[in-house]
Amino acid sequence: MRFMDARPDGRAVVYAHIQSDPLVARAAALLAAATTTQRLLARAVMNGESSDPASWRTMFPTLFGPAAPGTGDPARARSEAILEASLAVADRGEQTRSQFRGAIVEALTERLLAERTAPVRRERRIGFDGRPDEIHPYDVTVEREVAGEAWDCKWGARGIKADVLHQLDDARRGAAEEEVRLLVGLVIFDARRSCEVRLVRERGPVALEGLKLIALEGLDRLAGRKPA
Amino acid sequence: MAASIADLVDRALAGFEALAATAEPIADEWQYLTDLDTVWKARLRAVAEARGAELAPPGAEDALEVLVAEAGRITDPHRAIDWMSTLPQVALAALGEAA
Repeated sequence: MRFMDARPDGRAVVYAHIQSDPLVARAAALLAAATTTQRLLARAVMNGESSDPASWRTMFPTLFGPAAPGTGDPARARSEAILEASLAVADRGEQTRSQFRGAIVEALTERLLAERTAPVRRERRIGFDGRPDEIHPYDVTVEREVAGEAWDCKWGARGIKADVLHQLDDARRGAAEEEVRLLVGLVIFDARRSCEVRLVRERGPVALEGLKLIALEGLDRLAGRKPA
Repeated sequence: MAASIADLVDRALAGFEALAATAEPIADEWQYLTDLDTVWKARLRAVAEARGAELAPPGAEDALEVLVAEAGRITDPHRAIDWMSTLPQVALAALGEAA
C-alpha cells in the first residue's frame, strides 16, 4: 500500500483557492475547540437564510441566553466568534458557501486528527500492488506505516453515497489483502441519527463493520478526546 | 406562563412538517426524507412523552419561535432536506436534550 499525490485537475485548482481562504482556517480552528452545540450553531448558520445575528443568538439559548456564559467568558467569546465566522460563510452566496462548508469540514478533520497522530495529509490517493491506481483522492489521510487512516469528509448526511462507500471499502479490502492496517471512515458534519439512516440505505454490498462513522456529536474522537 | 415542553415539541414538529413539504419535490430523495421523518419525529415525541408536562427551560420558547420562522424562510428543496436534520437538533438543544 502506498499514499500518492492527487492528479491535478481543473476542479482541484478552483477548490484550492477555497481551501486556502483564511476564513476556512479560522472557522476550522474555532470549531476544533468547540462544543457540540457550538458546532451545531455553525451548521445551522452556514446553511441558514437569516443574516441577523440576534435571531441566531435567540435560537441558541444555552450559548447566548441568560443562563449561558456571560460576556468576557472564553466560551461565550468562542460562540460569538463561531457565529461571526459562520455568517461570513453564509454571506458568500449559495454555490460558494457550499464549497466553503466542505473545505471547513476537511480542515477541521485535519486539525483534529493532528492532535492525535501524524503525519496528516490532504487530497491523497492510495495505491495497492496489482490494482489500477484510484483516480479520486481521499480528503484526509494519516500516513503512518503501522496503521494508516483514510477519511472522506462531508458537510451533511446526504453526502453519504454508494460511490463514496465503495471507494472507502475498496481501500479497506486492498489493505487487508496486503495485510496492512488501514482505518477507513467518514467524517460528517451532521447528526449521527441522520447519518445512520442514510448509511443503511446507501451501503449496498459494503460491510459497514469495516467503516468508521464520525458524526457531528463525536468529532472530538478524531482527536482522541471525549466530546466537550 | 412559560410554555410546556410538549407545546414546544408540537411547534418543532410543525416546523419539521413545513420543511418536509418544501423538500418533497426531490423525488430521488423520497426514501431519505421518509427515514428522516421517521427517526426525528420519534426522537422529538420521545422527549414530549418523557418531559411533556415540564415547563420549558429559559429561552426555549423564543428559540423555537425563531427556529420555526427560519425553517419557514427556506424555499429551496435541497436546503430543506438539510434542515430536516438541523431543525430537530437545534430544537433538542434548546430543550436541553442531546440529539
